[in-house]
Amino acid sequence: MLDMAEEKDLQSTVKPKVTLRDVHVHYGDVHAVNGIDLDLYSDKVTALIGPSGCGKSTLLRCLNRMNDTIPDCRVDGEILLDGKNIYDAKIDVVQLRARVGMVFQKPNPFPKSIYDNVAYGPRIHGIAADRTSLDEIVESSLEKAGLWQEVKDRLDDSGIALSGGQQQRLCIARAIAVSPEVILMDEPCSALDPIATAKVEALIDELSGRYAIVIVTHSMQQAARVSQKTVFFHLGEMIEQGDTTQIFTAPREERTRDYITGRFG
Amino acid sequence: MTNSTILVLIALMAMFAFAFMRQKSVAVVGGATEALHSLPRYHGYFAALLVLLPGLLVLVLWLATGKMIVENLIVSGLPDELAAVYADRIDLLINRIRLVAENGTGVESDESILAAAARFNQLYARGIIATLVFSFAVGAIGFVHASSKVEPDFRARNSFERILNGVLATSSFLAIAITLGIVASLIFESIRFFQQVPIEDFLFGLKWSPQTALRADQVAAEGSFGAVPLFAGTFLISLLAMLVAGPVGLFAAIYLTQYASQRTRNIAKPVLEILAGVPTVVYGFFAALTVAPLFRSTGAWLGLDVASESALAAGLVMGIMIIPFVSSLSDDAITAVPESLKRGSLALGATTAETITKVLLPAALPGIASAFLLAISRAVGETMIVVMAAGMRPNLTANPLEAVTTVTVQIVALLTGDQEFDSAKTLSAFALGLALFVLTLVLNVFALSMVRKYREAYD
Amino acid sequence: MTDYQPFEHEQDDTGVDWNSPEMQARLHRRNIGDRFFRFVGFFAVTASAFFLVFLLGNIAQKGASGFLQTSIEIDVAFDADILPDPTNLEKDAFAAAVAQVNMQYLIRQALTNRFPEVTGRRDTTRLTRLLSSGARAQLRDIVIKNPELIGTTHRVSLLASDEIDQVVKGNTDVSVDEANRKLTDMELGWLQSLESEGRVTKDLHTRFLTSGDSREPELVGVWGAVAGSGLTLLVTLLTAFPIGVFAAIYLEEFAPKNRFTDIVEININNLAAVPSIVFGLLGLAVFLGLMGMARSAPLVGGLTLALLTLPTIIISARSAIAAVPPSIRDAARGLGASPMQVAFHHVVPLAMPGIMTGTIIGMARALGESAPLLMIGMVAFIVDVPASINDPATVLPVQIFIWADSPERAFIEKTSAAIMVLLFFLITMNGLAIWLRQKFERNW
Repeated sequence: MLDMAEEKDLQSTVKPKVTLRDVHVHYGDVHAVNGIDLDLYSDKVTALIGPSGCGKSTLLRCLNRMNDTIPDCRVDGEILLDGKNIYDAKIDVVQLRARVGMVFQKPNPFPKSIYDNVAYGPRIHGIAADRTSLDEIVESSLEKAGLWQEVKDRLDDSGIALSGGQQQRLCIARAIAVSPEVILMDEPCSALDPIATAKVEALIDELSGRYAIVIVTHSMQQAARVSQKTVFFHLGEMIEQGDTTQIFTAPREERTRDYITGRFG
Repeated sequence: MTNSTILVLIALMAMFAFAFMRQKSVAVVGGATEALHSLPRYHGYFAALLVLLPGLLVLVLWLATGKMIVENLIVSGLPDELAAVYADRIDLLINRIRLVAENGTGVESDESILAAAARFNQLYARGIIATLVFSFAVGAIGFVHASSKVEPDFRARNSFERILNGVLATSSFLAIAITLGIVASLIFESIRFFQQVPIEDFLFGLKWSPQTALRADQVAAEGSFGAVPLFAGTFLISLLAMLVAGPVGLFAAIYLTQYASQRTRNIAKPVLEILAGVPTVVYGFFAALTVAPLFRSTGAWLGLDVASESALAAGLVMGIMIIPFVSSLSDDAITAVPESLKRGSLALGATTAETITKVLLPAALPGIASAFLLAISRAVGETMIVVMAAGMRPNLTANPLEAVTTVTVQIVALLTGDQEFDSAKTLSAFALGLALFVLTLVLNVFALSMVRKYREAYD
Repeated sequence: MTDYQPFEHEQDDTGVDWNSPEMQARLHRRNIGDRFFRFVGFFAVTASAFFLVFLLGNIAQKGASGFLQTSIEIDVAFDADILPDPTNLEKDAFAAAVAQVNMQYLIRQALTNRFPEVTGRRDTTRLTRLLSSGARAQLRDIVIKNPELIGTTHRVSLLASDEIDQVVKGNTDVSVDEANRKLTDMELGWLQSLESEGRVTKDLHTRFLTSGDSREPELVGVWGAVAGSGLTLLVTLLTAFPIGVFAAIYLEEFAPKNRFTDIVEININNLAAVPSIVFGLLGLAVFLGLMGMARSAPLVGGLTLALLTLPTIIISARSAIAAVPPSIRDAARGLGASPMQVAFHHVVPLAMPGIMTGTIIGMARALGESAPLLMIGMVAFIVDVPASINDPATVLPVQIFIWADSPERAFIEKTSAAIMVLLFFLITMNGLAIWLRQKFERNW
């Protein structure tokens, strides 16, 4: 795959937030992810691209152990968050998921008020000491998600009543509210129209630098627009990783070039 | 000559019509069947239906009304002196006549009634013959009509299918007819009851002792028909049942949908289905013979006085019976909540329990509430368990250790054994039945409309 | 698993201090809450399973001995002076003559020969009560079958009375004070003496499966009730199945979508939840009151149960028909089939396994149903096995109800045994339904 010199090239001086070492994922007999080594950094947006079924969403769900809910799914190898293996038996998955937030393909606000949607995480984790600080968390999360101006007068309305794009930004606000360190986004714009997509992309840009963001996307343009680092998967294997500009302008691998030029996928 | 003979004869005639008309249609075109619009067999089907349906209609009408007509003829033709004796108890007289007509002359000694019964049999036999003739006549009209239609251009298939469509539609309207039949018969008999006992006495009276004087000069039996103790008993036992079935059923559903492995589900679901399939009479036997004595001896050991037909035993066993009902409906309601909500909550770091209480249950609430309402309706209408394990004596109490009686127990008690149709005692069973029907109907309609809206919300 | 290792990581300004003692304690509490929830759920499932096992185990334990019956062997002298001479009689005439003979006398003789010390009218009566009142008929049948026995003394095995039977099976506690039990010490002494000679046997009681009801527990059988159930279900099937399937076809394939069909649909769903006893009241008022049909007959019972099962059949048939994919209909229509031909030639045959499954389940429910049948007089005491749908009859669950109400101790095991027979039929029917479902299950 990558020779050592190139890999060294990619190493930044900053310590990686998340480190994957030889990660394999099996669903029963299906080998969905095959030996991935990857570093994710706090100040970068990393885009995972590749054709459908290449294992990129599966890999994403490993990072906050959402695969735990799927029967006969097995994860081997090491995934380290700040140097600690998150699949260690002693790791509390509840706490892990608070630190590694997730935004799904389809917006999934709870059938509760906008306020309660955002306050859900802080409440269960007991992050806010009192009502005032909870109010503050809700406001700042909605502000970071760029939704505050649109909803500040109707916080008691149901989250389902919002438009699709607003719903997705509400879900991002909901994830931000528990102060995660990593945010995973599983094709967050695939269910949105172009205008809403633009807003969410702007938001991702806004958030980058504060959180380690990993985004799975089908859209090459989106990966090019929002990410600093891009990883290309094919059939469960990592084909190539590198700076986004490099991947899109001068891919080293033939398959990567074929994919980004639209020959398959 | 019996009614079933008529049925067989009509069927034979229809078969003949089928065979005849199929042949005729072939003959009309001289064997060149491609000249026919419809296949020969459709000419046959059409003719068969045209014979069968009118004939059957006549037969069904006769079966439904025949005895009533004959009885009315008998009553109007009674000797004056007999009519005078039974002036206000005409139903009793009819009952006696019927008994003779059905069971032979051994059961009666009164000459005039024997005569009336003989006349009944004679008239009924004539009625059967009249029905036979009439149904054959309408069948023949159908046959002739079908025969006149056999032409190459006749669209036999279309006509046949139009009639068949009518038959199908009638079948589905029968469901409405059943409901109307229930409502009509319950209301009709209840009105007769309320003519004898004021409705407010029935609904608000506190004393239930259903007796009616057989003769006007009897003093002992002044009945009272206050149904409150029955409603209270029904409520108490249903409440106890729900206290068992509600939590157990709901938590079983939660466990099976959220925690259990596929293997556990594969074992637990059939177990619950078997529990649901056990006949209620078996639960009743179990309650009366095993649970009630167990509670009684446990109570005695604790120094409590537990009745041998305690509400607690009946309620507990009824609760066990309803567990699978609650759990399967709750299961449906919880599974109907989109998986994405659950994943959203788990991804925020909520525990499974928090996801259940804060996201899944609130979202599934209408479905679960409707499951509970349907379960209550089931408990209220359940009969065999309480007939076998609950008491007979009306008892206005909230103490589950005492014996209480229920609406269904009293309906069974009032209607098993011999009865006359117009005594207040018998009629009161229909009033109780009406109360039961209305109560469960309200619960069901409410629950079903709730679950309907709920399904629409997530579809 | 109780000690979760905290993450060691640098605090950032917005972050939460997950390592603080409060956070750790809170996390601990939340996880305990989760495990508690899981435990309660598990407990609920286990409790349901326990109830089922307890219920079925209890019935089986009580009912197993109901299939056995105690008999006592006695040496009967087939006295040629009392019994008719078979040599100069036709077979039927001989049987008629035997039927005239007081068999009770032969039994009493045999018993007093065995217990010569028993004298006095009261004690002799007690002695004959060791045997069932059905022993006379047994003895009569033996003589008719074996005329050569006349003039000899032969050891025959006759049914013991229910009280003796219960003692032999250990269901009656004989250690209590004599005044508090039905059998006296004297009778138990006779029993012991017979047992010591090996004259008391416990055999499979085929009579229980082949005869009708009786007042005597040792003579009862479930066959009458099984036949009654069979005839009743036949009527139910013949009426509810065609009507239910026709209604389902109409509602799924032909009914215009309007307010009226909406009402029909809501109505059917509600009807499925109406208490069964209300259907009994309907049957009483309409079939018995209005139409004057015969009480206690399988015809009326079957029609009443048909009203009850109809909604179930319609609902399951509809879902089976709805599961047939539209592509099948399009294909048939494309070949020029009329809507009626599409429905009857293509859709219904494909939906049939599903319809059958639903119908069998509905029939199983009807088989277990008793409340509405009490309303229409199927609760009567009927000895004869019904042969047609117009004969007075009872059904298996109602038979169980009647026996459960009987005071004799021996009826407990008979009731439990009858429940086992009922459950056997129910399991068979449901098993058939499951088999059908699996065999014909299709993923379109």
